[in-house]
Amino acid sequence: MSDESQTSRFLSEIAANTGKLVKATQLFGQTRDEDVTIGTTPKHLVMRRDKVELFRYEPLAAATATTPVLVAYGLIGRYTMADLQPDRSLVRSLLSKGLDLWLIDWGQPGRTERWLTIDDYVDDYIDAAVDRIRHDTGHDKVTLLGICEGGVFTTCYAALHPDKVKNLVITITPIDFHADTKDTAAHHGFLNIWTRSLDPEDIDRLVDTYGVLPGEFMSSVFSMMTPMRSLTKYNVDLIDVVDDEAKFMNFLRMEKWLADRPHHPGEAAKQWLKELYQENRLANGNFVLSGRTVDLKSVTAPVLNVFALDDHIIPPDCSRALGARIGSNDYTEIPLPGGHVGLFVSSKSQGKLSQSIADWLCARDGAAAGNS
Amino acid sequence: MDDKGDAKPAGSDPAAQWAGLWQGFAESSRQMAEAWSGSMGPFMLARLMEKPAGFSAGNEMSETIEKMAQGPRLADFWDIDRKLALVFGAWMEMRQKLASYNAVTSAPWAEASKRFFDAMSAAGGGNKELPHWREAFAKWSEISNEELIRNQRSDGFLQAQKELLQAGVKLRSRQDEVAEAASAMFGLPSRKDFDEVTRQLTELRREVRALGRRANGQGEAQP
Repeated sequence: MSDESQTSRFLSEIAANTGKLVKATQLFGQTRDEDVTIGTTPKHLVMRRDKVELFRYEPLAAATATTPVLVAYGLIGRYTMADLQPDRSLVRSLLSKGLDLWLIDWGQPGRTERWLTIDDYVDDYIDAAVDRIRHDTGHDKVTLLGICEGGVFTTCYAALHPDKVKNLVITITPIDFHADTKDTAAHHGFLNIWTRSLDPEDIDRLVDTYGVLPGEFMSSVFSMMTPMRSLTKYNVDLIDVVDDEAKFMNFLRMEKWLADRPHHPGEAAKQWLKELYQENRLANGNFVLSGRTVDLKSVTAPVLNVFALDDHIIPPDCSRALGARIGSNDYTEIPLPGGHVGLFVSSKSQGKLSQSIADWLCARDGAAAGNS
Repeated sequence: MDDKGDAKPAGSDPAAQWAGLWQGFAESSRQMAEAWSGSMGPFMLARLMEKPAGFSAGNEMSETIEKMAQGPRLADFWDIDRKLALVFGAWMEMRQKLASYNAVTSAPWAEASKRFFDAMSAAGGGNKELPHWREAFAKWSEISNEELIRNQRSDGFLQAQKELLQAGVKLRSRQDEVAEAASAMFGLPSRKDFDEVTRQLTELRREVRALGRRANGQGEAQP
């Protein structure tokens, strides 16, 4: 190609991209926040306990699994990741496969929740939700579906209250917080390395000063983990979505979810960062909640462990560690392609994740089999 | 309008001038990146690895303020001035830690630039067509990501970030002390008071719920 034609191409590309960025600016100006909706799958409030709310989703199909399923997200980010938009919603997809789905929403913890510990979340809030579901449905046990930190909570619950747990499904959940050292991918596990680089006193001072682990602080740590993506998402990446309204709205929904990052309750954050990330107590068998050691061998319910093979936040080996530590003889691992968030929101992984969970549950708990 | 085939006088085509300018800029950047990597880069990186606070050395003013403000406390005056001085000292320290952090985080860009221009030179050398901007940008993004992540995992980065976090928390904590003093001056409840109330509330709630479970028997929680 001649210099002249290369120059011509270069200039026309600059003009086209400038035009797209102008268009993006106009689209931002025309779109209101209320137009960007997430977490819209219909549900109704069943119980409120402090700021924590228990919801039951409206059924979308005839029941295929008999036992109610309680979804528990973590305290870092919000459950809306599992219900980002109708065609990218784990929740909606599971409902359409006939599951009776309940949700525990931690709300927006602030300084008022400074003193809450993981003990409170596992032995009070989850326990109260499980009891309410048992009461309302007449089932002795429920199935727990934990996501990320919520997976740790539900695993601890299954170990401490095995008599109330029918099945345990965990997704992108860390169990061995030091297993990142086995992962050779350079972009995996920065959160583990970063947390271990701090002194325990640094974490205490941070939490004591702010009263919480600030949501904005965690957002900045997550942004750092994908440095170039964080630098380009509001400029170059916009060029790719600006001509497609559906893609543009997908982008805005993801941004809305990212912006909705509540503070992590202070004392629970100290446990999360010091006792789990730094000291690895859950995997080592010395994590104590409400005066009882969480012994993973006490997890006797069937367990499904789903993780993402390119999860830069929770490296796969951190999740895989559960299999060798539990007491259950019925353990299934499903590694899926994709990343930590992509597993839930990418169009490619949508069907796989929900189908894997629904198939696994129906095989153990199918309505046709007459289980209760 | 120019007729095709007409010889254009040198400098008459703005597009060609722009392209020439761009190529010149790219070449200069490449030379600068090479100069950096070949001279100051290794020296500064080595210093950062040895002592990440190297760029913030000479923190005499904040140390002096610290010593002065940490002196004997007087009963009836100077307390608020002391608190403000401590805030100022912490602010200066944080600025210095920030400078140190910025120095560490800027280091990988030089290596990224060098690798990128090497890659582009290889791709567009000779009579080969220059890559489309998307390909070039994807390459730049990939290389920069690798270099930034490599840097993030280094001891120098982790130490600089830790010190910045410590300095930031210290500053915030000292600002809180000024706010506490102001609250006390106007008879308003302070943040510490609020924390104390929520602590008592949380503990009380735990006790009430434990009693509820006990009353229901078998540790059953009351929905």
